[in-house]
Amino acid sequence: MTGLAVDDAAWASAWRTRSPADKLLLCVGLVGCALALPAWPGSVLVGLTAVVLAVGPARVPARTLGRAIRWPLAFIAVGALTAVVQLGGDGIGWAPDAAARGGSLVGHALAGSAAVLLLATTTPLSDLLPALQRLRVPAAVVEVASVVYRLLFVLLESLRTIREAQTARLGYSTWRRSYRSSGALAAAVLTRSWDRAHRLQEGLAGRGMDTGLRVLPEVLPSSRVFRAATVLGLAALVSASQVIA
Amino acid sequence: MHIAEGFLPPAHAIGWTLAAAPFVVHGARAVVKEVREHPEATLLLGAAGAFTFVLSAIKLPSITGSSSHPTGTGVGAILFRPPVMALLGTVVLLFQALLLAHGGLTTLGANAFSLAIVGPWVGYGAYRLTRALGGDLLPGVFAGMALADLATYLTTSVQLALAFPDAGSGFTGALVKFLGVFAVTQIPLAIGEGLLGVLLFRVLVTNARPDLERLGVLPVRPAEPEEAR
Repeated sequence: MTGLAVDDAAWASAWRTRSPADKLLLCVGLVGCALALPAWPGSVLVGLTAVVLAVGPARVPARTLGRAIRWPLAFIAVGALTAVVQLGGDGIGWAPDAAARGGSLVGHALAGSAAVLLLATTTPLSDLLPALQRLRVPAAVVEVASVVYRLLFVLLESLRTIREAQTARLGYSTWRRSYRSSGALAAAVLTRSWDRAHRLQEGLAGRGMDTGLRVLPEVLPSSRVFRAATVLGLAALVSASQVIA
Repeated sequence: MHIAEGFLPPAHAIGWTLAAAPFVVHGARAVVKEVREHPEATLLLGAAGAFTFVLSAIKLPSITGSSSHPTGTGVGAILFRPPVMALLGTVVLLFQALLLAHGGLTTLGANAFSLAIVGPWVGYGAYRLTRALGGDLLPGVFAGMALADLATYLTTSVQLALAFPDAGSGFTGALVKFLGVFAVTQIPLAIGEGLLGVLLFRVLVTNARPDLERLGVLPVRPAEPEEAR
């Protein structure tokens, strides 16, 4: 358990051992379809496909998916509602095509978010980072990103522990105390992150590893069947969308 | 405030990605140079990125009764400078998209432009200006963190207004709508983040002065003479 539900789901997913490149092909394809196909029926088909694949073969808990979609849903609802309201001389009213425009916005965004969530809940970030290097991102940048991934769980644990202690001491009982505690909490996490980085560096230098944390990436072989099914499935999605429309 | 995946039309998503790319590439070059000259910087930069991510898990009480989380772009710009934040901010946004479902992949460019580029540059500019005008560290930090947050919110509203102009009043009307709707959460958050910055730096000045001196935030104090000890 890492403390981040999406990351936990990715490590526990039945698709964890599938090649990240295969899953990228599927999910980026679905994201592209969500963006390019008309909301009806394209977005609906993409959204359903992503959710069915996640809770079906990938065995991602539906509860995790539901909880994860809440954040983008809040933005999508407020953003879409604002976009379809019209400002005119008579005040505020609905735009002439409000329902169609709002539906299209919500459809594209929910389908796209579901496709990204399929990738996020089946592929740990540590599997995706080596793929960045193959996309010609400099090794130093990938290494910094890997350190971010390694350290953030340690810092999140520190944050929870310190906040629990502060809460037990009534550190969040009033508005003023909440701010004071939050400032102290941020400072403690920042100084711990520096301390952790210094100690890691000293440890690595002591072992003669001056160039950083080099590890062999886990080899997850690509599946031709999965790739072929992905290409056929995406083509079927596009065709079905055009036929139904 | 992160624009969700699929919310922007494809042309806008591509346009903002192209607009953000030079800043992120510049930041990546700065990081590569830093790591080549000082290999130990990898871990410190990683720690800075992890801190920026974790900062978004701190909940601030809001005047509106709800709670919001700080963006962390202002504090990052003051401590690590805007070019580094352009890259670290983009990495953190990618992590937030894939670990928290905040933001998205096709909207990464637009979110990076507002949160990792405009926010840090405006925040750093406000911080430097306040210090140049004779302000102390803490007023500078308040201005830097609050304005970084406000600039991010303004940029996101402009991005949304460009993508979804109002049917009657065009871009201007849409901008007024988006600014008005998001002001409810974003203006209290900007003030809150400025206050958090003041409290954070008050603790850091006491407990982590050597680190602030190393980062150039505070001038290096001359060593105390032997007899004064």
